[in-house]
Amino acid sequence: MGKRRRIDAVKTEFAEAAERHLDDVHAYLVYLTGDRGTAEELAAETFARACERWHRFDPRRGGARTWLCQLARSTALDHFRAEERRRRREGRYAVSVPESEEQVFGEGLSPALEAALSRLSAAEREVVALRIVLELDGEAAARVLGISATACSTRLSRALQKLEKEVSAGVAA
Amino acid sequence: MSPLELVDDRFDKLAEELRASRPVAPVALRAQVRALEPPGPRWTFRWPSRRVVLALAGAALLASFVAAGVTGLSGSSTKQLSAVKPKSVKTIEHGDAVRQGVGGVALKTPAPNLGPLERTSDLAPTAGRLQRYQATMRLRVKNVDAMSSAAKRAMNLAHGLGGYVASVQYATRSKGGGATLVLRVPVGNVQTALTELASLGTILQQHTGILDVTRRVDREALQIAELERQLAHASPSEAPVIRAKLATLRAKHARLLKSARLARITLGLTTPAKQAAAAPSRFDRTVDDAGSVLLRELEILLYALVVAGPLLLLGAVGIAAARAQRRRADARLLERA
Repeated sequence: MGKRRRIDAVKTEFAEAAERHLDDVHAYLVYLTGDRGTAEELAAETFARACERWHRFDPRRGGARTWLCQLARSTALDHFRAEERRRRREGRYAVSVPESEEQVFGEGLSPALEAALSRLSAAEREVVALRIVLELDGEAAARVLGISATACSTRLSRALQKLEKEVSAGVAA
Repeated sequence: MSPLELVDDRFDKLAEELRASRPVAPVALRAQVRALEPPGPRWTFRWPSRRVVLALAGAALLASFVAAGVTGLSGSSTKQLSAVKPKSVKTIEHGDAVRQGVGGVALKTPAPNLGPLERTSDLAPTAGRLQRYQATMRLRVKNVDAMSSAAKRAMNLAHGLGGYVASVQYATRSKGGGATLVLRVPVGNVQTALTELASLGTILQQHTGILDVTRRVDREALQIAELERQLAHASPSEAPVIRAKLATLRAKHARLLKSARLARITLGLTTPAKQAAAAPSRFDRTVDDAGSVLLRELEILLYALVVAGPLLLLGAVGIAAARAQRRRADARLLERA
C-alpha cells in the first residue's frame, strides 16, 4: 500500500514537472540546435532520460527546470557529437544551419531577428534562451552551462550585442 | 526584475520580442511526454547537504573531545592508584629502625617516636665482656651549612672521647649534599658518642650490631700460652716454626683486642631532598591527558593529510583538468554547431 502510494507520488511529481517545463525545455533546445525537428527529437529524448533518472533529482540542489535544462544540454551535446562524427564519416566538414522558410525560433518573430538568431553560434543562442526566453536567473543559467555566474553574464552581454548588431545589419540590408 | 536589467536596458525591446514569440512544444511531443511513466522510487546515493556535513564535522569534533576527556579521566585515576602504592612503602622504610642483637641476630621492629637518647641507649655494651661494637647512623640535617657543622662536631666528638676519625667523605651538590664519617670510639664511650651524634640531626636510620668476642679472646690467649710453652721446650729445628705461628697469633689477637676496645660508628649525614613539585590535581591530570590525546589526534590528522594530501591534490587537479577539457570541447562543439 505504501509502496503503491510512493510510486503514484513519483509519477505525479514527474508528470507535473514535465507538463510545467516542457515548453521551456523545448524552447531551449530550439535555440540550442536552431532546428525545430531536432529540438523535438531531443526534447523527447530529454524527457525519456528524465523519466528514467527522476529518482536522482534532488530538489535541494536546484529546481526541476534547471535539472531538465542540464539534461537537455547533455542530450544536445551528445547529439552534436554524434552529428560531428557522422559528418566526418561522410566527409562533410562544413557545418550548415538548415535553411528553411518556416520560422524556427518562434511564431511572429521579425525576419531580421530570426535571421540574426540563426547567425549566432549555438553557445550564444543557448545563453540568450536561458536568460532571456526562459528568464532563468544568473546562478541557475550558469549551473546549466557549467560556468560561473560572471562568465554567464559576460557571455550573455556579448551574445546580445552580436544579436543587436546582426539585427541592425539585417534591417539595413 | 528582468534578467536583462542586469545587462543593459537597450536590449529590453529585443528581449520582449524574443519572449513574446518563444517556441511552444507541439501537441505530439506533449502527448509523447505525457505517456512517460517513471519507474518506482529507488534508493540512490545523494551527497549530504552542507548542513549534514557541518553537523557531522561538529559531531566528529565533539567525539574527539569526549574521547580525549574519557581517556584523560581514566588515565588520571590509573596514575593516582599507582602513585599511592610506593608512598606507603616509603613510609614503612622511614619509620623502621633496624637493630641487630648480640651474636648477629637481626631484630626489625617499628621505631617508636622516641627522643635521640632513648633511641640510642637500648643496645649498650655489657660491662666486663669483650664485644665488637658496630653502629650505623643516618641523620638528616637542615642544609649544607648544618651538614658541615655536624661533620666537624662529630669529628671533635670522636677525638674528645679518646677515639679517632677513620675516614670522611663529604660532597655537596646544587640541590644539597651528603657526608659519611667512620668514627672509632672506645667501647666504653660509645653510648655517649651515639647520644651526642643523634643530637646533630634527625635520625633517619640507625643500625647497631654487637658481637661478643670474650670467648674467642680467651681461646686465643690459651693458644698463645700453649705456643710459648712449646717454644720453651722446642728443639732448634722446631723453634722457628713455632715462633712464626706465635707471631701470627699474637698479631691476630692484638687486632681482636683492638676491635673490642674501639667501636666503629658509621655516621651518614644528608640534607633534605628538594621538595618535589606539588602533585597535580586530578583535574589538572585529566586536562593534561585530554590535551595529550587531542594533540595525538591532531598529529594523526596531520600525518594523514601529509600522506594523503598530495594524492588528493593530484586527484582534484586531475578531475578539474578533465572537467575543464570537457568544457572547452563542449564550447568548441557549440561554436561549430
